[in-house]
Amino acid sequence: MTTAQLDPAVVMVPGFDESARPAAAEPDLITARREAAFKQYLELPMPTARDEEWRRTDPALIPFERFKPAEAPRRRAAPSGAGPWDDTFDVVVSVDDTGFEIRDNAGLLAQGGLTVQPLAEAAQRHPALIERYLQGPARVKHPRKFSALGDAFWRFGLFIHAPAKAIIPRGVLIRYTHAQSGRSVVPRLLAVVEDQAELTIAEHYESPDDAELLAITTRELYAGPGATLRAASLQEWGARTYHIGEDWVRAERDARIEWVTLLLGGQVSKMMVSCDVHEPNAQAYLSGLFFANRTQHVDQKTLQLHTAPNTYSNLLYKGAVKDQGHSVYQGIIDAAPGAIKVDAYQMNNNLILTEGARADSLPGLEIDADDLKCSHGATFGNLDQNQLFYLRARGLPEAEARQLLVMAFFEEVIARVPHEFMRERVREDVRRKCGDAA
Amino acid sequence: MNQTETTHKLETDSKLVREYQYGFVTDVDTDELPKGLNEDIIRAISQKKNEPVWMTEWRLKSFRRWQTMREPRWAKVTYPEIDYQDIRYYSAPKSASSGAAQADPELLKTFERLGIPLYERDRLAGVAVDAVFDSVSVATTHREMLAEKGIIFCSMSEAIQEHPELVRKYLGSVVPPSDNFFAALNSAVFSDGSFCYIPKGVRCPVELSTYFRINARDTGQFERTLIVAEEDAYVSYIEGCTAPMRDTNQLHAAVVELVALDRAQIKYSTVQNWYAGDEKGHGGIYNFVTKRGHCRGAHSKISWTQVEVGAAITWKYPSVILEGDHSVGEFYSVAFTNNRMQADTGTKMIHIGAHTKSTIISKGISAGESANSYRGLVQILPSAQHARNHTCCDSMLIGDKCSANTYPVIEAETSTAITEHEATTSKISEEQLFYVQSRGIDEESATSLIVNGFCKDVFKELPLEFSVEAIKLLELKLEHSVG
Repeated sequence: MTTAQLDPAVVMVPGFDESARPAAAEPDLITARREAAFKQYLELPMPTARDEEWRRTDPALIPFERFKPAEAPRRRAAPSGAGPWDDTFDVVVSVDDTGFEIRDNAGLLAQGGLTVQPLAEAAQRHPALIERYLQGPARVKHPRKFSALGDAFWRFGLFIHAPAKAIIPRGVLIRYTHAQSGRSVVPRLLAVVEDQAELTIAEHYESPDDAELLAITTRELYAGPGATLRAASLQEWGARTYHIGEDWVRAERDARIEWVTLLLGGQVSKMMVSCDVHEPNAQAYLSGLFFANRTQHVDQKTLQLHTAPNTYSNLLYKGAVKDQGHSVYQGIIDAAPGAIKVDAYQMNNNLILTEGARADSLPGLEIDADDLKCSHGATFGNLDQNQLFYLRARGLPEAEARQLLVMAFFEEVIARVPHEFMRERVREDVRRKCGDAA
Repeated sequence: MNQTETTHKLETDSKLVREYQYGFVTDVDTDELPKGLNEDIIRAISQKKNEPVWMTEWRLKSFRRWQTMREPRWAKVTYPEIDYQDIRYYSAPKSASSGAAQADPELLKTFERLGIPLYERDRLAGVAVDAVFDSVSVATTHREMLAEKGIIFCSMSEAIQEHPELVRKYLGSVVPPSDNFFAALNSAVFSDGSFCYIPKGVRCPVELSTYFRINARDTGQFERTLIVAEEDAYVSYIEGCTAPMRDTNQLHAAVVELVALDRAQIKYSTVQNWYAGDEKGHGGIYNFVTKRGHCRGAHSKISWTQVEVGAAITWKYPSVILEGDHSVGEFYSVAFTNNRMQADTGTKMIHIGAHTKSTIISKGISAGESANSYRGLVQILPSAQHARNHTCCDSMLIGDKCSANTYPVIEAETSTAITEHEATTSKISEEQLFYVQSRGIDEESATSLIVNGFCKDVFKELPLEFSVEAIKLLELKLEHSVG
């Protein structure tokens, strides 16, 4: 198939065509992967609202034609201003519209105790390692349109590698701050935590309310045998940012993965997390918090894939909707044939705070093995009237009582966030959103 | 094949026969139309039933609509392409007539073997029966007693002749012909079924029952049932089904419509035991059914209870549209699959009216190499203020080659509604098995006992005699699925 025969309206995401492919020379490894991904990207049709996965989030909600791919950020020589929480991390990566920098707060990078490098640079220095993970062993589903796009066009790639037995207590913060209107940003993250190592990764996305932006993100995280990986991402995009994200996580023997997604900003967010609990005794804890108010639309899909016996996963996604907000949660627990002694749990709680808001939930189970225990639950409702009455009877004004109950509802997820600054930040966001008049 | 294998095969064969005791064929003369489907066939069906013009037109319109539709393939079931031209759409025993007294002795014997009391005898005196054999209704009992109360309980064909105004008013008002592929097909070719009308304020004193039987080879059965309960009326309706064992697949595409007006209650119970095919998956009935109830009036209630133990493939979602304020919808289901059976079943609860309530209890049991899926929708529209839903779907797995899937969808569009959904999938509890076995009960009986307990929430919703039958049926089906 050649590009000439393809109908660009059907296969191309506007702005992402031949001309958008990176011009700068890159290691062969990366170029080859981009080539393959570009081919896949051209073969896959553009999703429409008729596809099951996009039925509740019409791709037409995202004005793709208004965005041009942003330039690749360049490494900055001189450090720019530090963020307020930077000194609570060992390594801080900050990325903005024009440049990026990697700050080694604890000297870990210099000692070789941890690798945090742009992906292209890493491919040059550790080709064997990168090759192994570049193919995406965690990608358990067929190539998808936007992950193929991400693989072919990523502008800022980051590779994080914790060597065997490395214990990195404070971890890595990656901060994305974008403000240039009319641009699409395509970051890619690849993180590997080797045997027995322990690492925390925090990500923070931010943009001003007046900038119109599109973010297409791909993240892949691997926890090797016995490793512990904690990852939290705080999405605080401005009101006119659109976000399509795909995350792939894999846990090997005895590994433990804790994953927290905090979705608070953006106009439309369409996220997918796939967690492959791949080897015996691996554990995955997936948590999510989302709050859609005004006209926000949040769509999340999670996949808990149990490919091996004796694996454990626990998912808790809590969300609130307000005003014209609409949330969609779709979860699947998939136990492959032979995956016995599996224990998988999935819970989705939804608060519908005002009339006009809407929440959809599709909690699914696909079980092909027999000796296991899988369960899910989903609830919908407003705040408990009795609790509200209790608080008001003690003299709390209604707005305050409501806010308190919403905070309490979310606290279970917030407690799973590994960094205090992030917990505080989320509480602040939730408080603000509660008080927001439509 | 060596000696042991041969013996084993013989054993399984006899086992199968035992497992499906309704697998016999009745030798009766039939009046059939040739295979195939076109407008002439539809006209011929309509003519055979001496239908008025509006009915013929309705069928033709549905057929034309059907031709533009595509067969749904989203369910988690696999089956070879169905050749709709290779099915006989009409087959009736020659001697069929509406009174039991004139029924063919062969037919009576068949229903006798199936345990259907066509004669109004005292054994199950509390049940009025309409029996459908292949395409036509052969007998309806208890009519006079029902007529005294103003209740109409007859075959659909008779209803079209005798109560056209009611049929025209309600037919297709809950499941329109354009609803889905199989509903359109059914609307075009439906041959018979039951019609039941309970007038204002009448409480139907007996349980009404329809018994469906597919007998002829290569025929499809397309029955159409319509139940209307007027203001303050009550009816409990039971449906049962069986078919002979054959190695080809047969299609059963029924449509059931229920209408409940103000404060009316309809209780619809099904024990579905179509022939499920042999253990290799040969033969069996494709059960593609559209069942829907419409709570039109305030404080009305529709309750579906189903025990699905047969059919090679089941595709069935008995649903309730809760339009009247304070109306109630219920769905209680046990779906058992064994060997190569596939079931994709569940319900839809559409909350429109304020203070509407729905309850869904679904129990799936998969054994052998079967696939059992629950698929459901709970939709709370903005107008459904203070709506309430509770859903509980449990699946039990017996054996390591079967699968159990749960695909619920919940859409909540009002802040005053409360919805909760829970689902579990697990193996039959080893601890419970051990406990029961340690008291000297063998593994098979122990399994049966535990499965029975698992399904209790649903069985208790069935009318008494039916509940007993369902428990026995499940026991029978469970035989040899252990170990």
